[in-house]
Amino acid sequence: MRHPSEGILRRLVDEPAGVPDDDRAHVASCPTCLRALESARADAQLVGSALGTSREADVDTDAAWARFSAAAPAAPAFRPAPAASRRSWRTAVRRPAVAALSAVVLLTGAGVAAANDWLPIFETESVEPVEITAGDLVQVPDLSAYGDLQITEEPNPEQVADAATARERTGLDVPEVTELPAGVTGEPTYQAAGIVSATFTFSAAKAAEAAAAEGEDLPPVPDGLDGSSLRLQAGPGVAAMWAQPSGVPTLVVARVGAPTVDASGGVQFETVKEYLLSLPGLPPELAAQLEDLSQDGGTLPLPVPAELVTTSEAEVDGATATVLTSRNGLFAGVVWVEDGVMTGVAGTLSADELLSVARGLR
Amino acid sequence: MPRGRVGVRTDLEEVFRGHYPRVVAVAARVLGSRDQAEDVAQDVFLSFGRSAVPADEAGGWLTVAATHTALNLLRSGRRRSAREELADDGPTVAPDVADLVVTREERSAVRAALARLPHKQAAALVLRHSGLSYVEVAAALDLSPGSVGTTVRRAELHLLEELNRHASPE
Repeated sequence: MRHPSEGILRRLVDEPAGVPDDDRAHVASCPTCLRALESARADAQLVGSALGTSREADVDTDAAWARFSAAAPAAPAFRPAPAASRRSWRTAVRRPAVAALSAVVLLTGAGVAAANDWLPIFETESVEPVEITAGDLVQVPDLSAYGDLQITEEPNPEQVADAATARERTGLDVPEVTELPAGVTGEPTYQAAGIVSATFTFSAAKAAEAAAAEGEDLPPVPDGLDGSSLRLQAGPGVAAMWAQPSGVPTLVVARVGAPTVDASGGVQFETVKEYLLSLPGLPPELAAQLEDLSQDGGTLPLPVPAELVTTSEAEVDGATATVLTSRNGLFAGVVWVEDGVMTGVAGTLSADELLSVARGLR
Repeated sequence: MPRGRVGVRTDLEEVFRGHYPRVVAVAARVLGSRDQAEDVAQDVFLSFGRSAVPADEAGGWLTVAATHTALNLLRSGRRRSAREELADDGPTVAPDVADLVVTREERSAVRAALARLPHKQAAALVLRHSGLSYVEVAAALDLSPGSVGTTVRRAELHLLEELNRHASPE
């Protein structure tokens, strides 16, 4: 009999019962395998202690809960461009990773909040899914390390009384659902947010510092890039949300002005984008995907956490929509872009139910 | 609703109190820093609060979420400087000053090596050392159960290689 693989020996260390009897019998009588098993066991112990940290009992759960209760937002399911209002790009680029970990946030926000935070630098005409892990999301370089980011217009998101008020505040019609799916009842709550604008001014000196901090050299800066600016804009946005009595959202319908970007200072947007893509810290596979996607500058790569969600395409009133379905089957979402406006429908429903809501919107 | 503003799920406080120390421990395993681990845990529970994950599956879900979030933070290169970390996290045991330095250097080397591992390999390693079964690790990372052992073993060998390289004299 052949020696069991190193993977089987490793499992034997942790879960002998999970290893087939034949393999166990072989290892027990094979000096080579026994040595390899011992070595796997010793290595596992060493790594366990290297990864070990302070004891769990030291954690102050009461204080942590107090902090958590104070910080948790009241209506978190739809947050148009929330990070920008915190005046921190660092927060903005971190947030999507957290969002991506929660299928509800990703899907009930129809990916819009995440997309706004994450890639406002691509003008959006269509949504195209990119298979990326949650890890890729936060590896987009923290742009504040490469220049100055100033919020020039705050979105001031808030809950409003009704669809008419939402429209008044934003100029966007809240999509009207003609027929609610089974299980979705009651009146929705409405959210509205204005436009968020920001100016990012590239600084070669800051970028060089940031690269040095990572132990890397800054790629040569193209002529004219130092001091050039990008004007980023996203929103406005409106949403209607239905929830169970427990507060768990069942259906969200949202419409948001897709993010746009203008370059100024005589530099082409393509130049800025390509340079940003070349900065240390950007995962090569994601950079390659972005390269492919943004050749025409008209697509929004929608961040989709591959571990949690599967994607497919469907047609909604002539537009190509991206259908997101969580692997656990609990959530789904449908999102599409038309004339620079992203519309999303998401919730704790099946993709088919959501598609029929999407197609029935007025 | 358990408490005024945190009202997304009625079981949130119970799940929080029941799992918080463990979620911090998972994140600390990745980051080597208690403060950062607590930040990660807060983010993870915020996501959980908005989710419809059944309470009896919360433990596994939270462990996986904490692992991904912490690895993302580790790999984002946006961690605080090593000096700041030394200031807020003492070692668990500190026999003497020389050991202390080695421990800290090793911990830093472990984190550097973790950050360089492919995400899935690093996640499998952390999940396994956080007590998830092979079947759970496989489900969480979309691996076949048979390949979890191989993935974990390779990650361990890689980590030890980095540590040995770090420990050997120049």
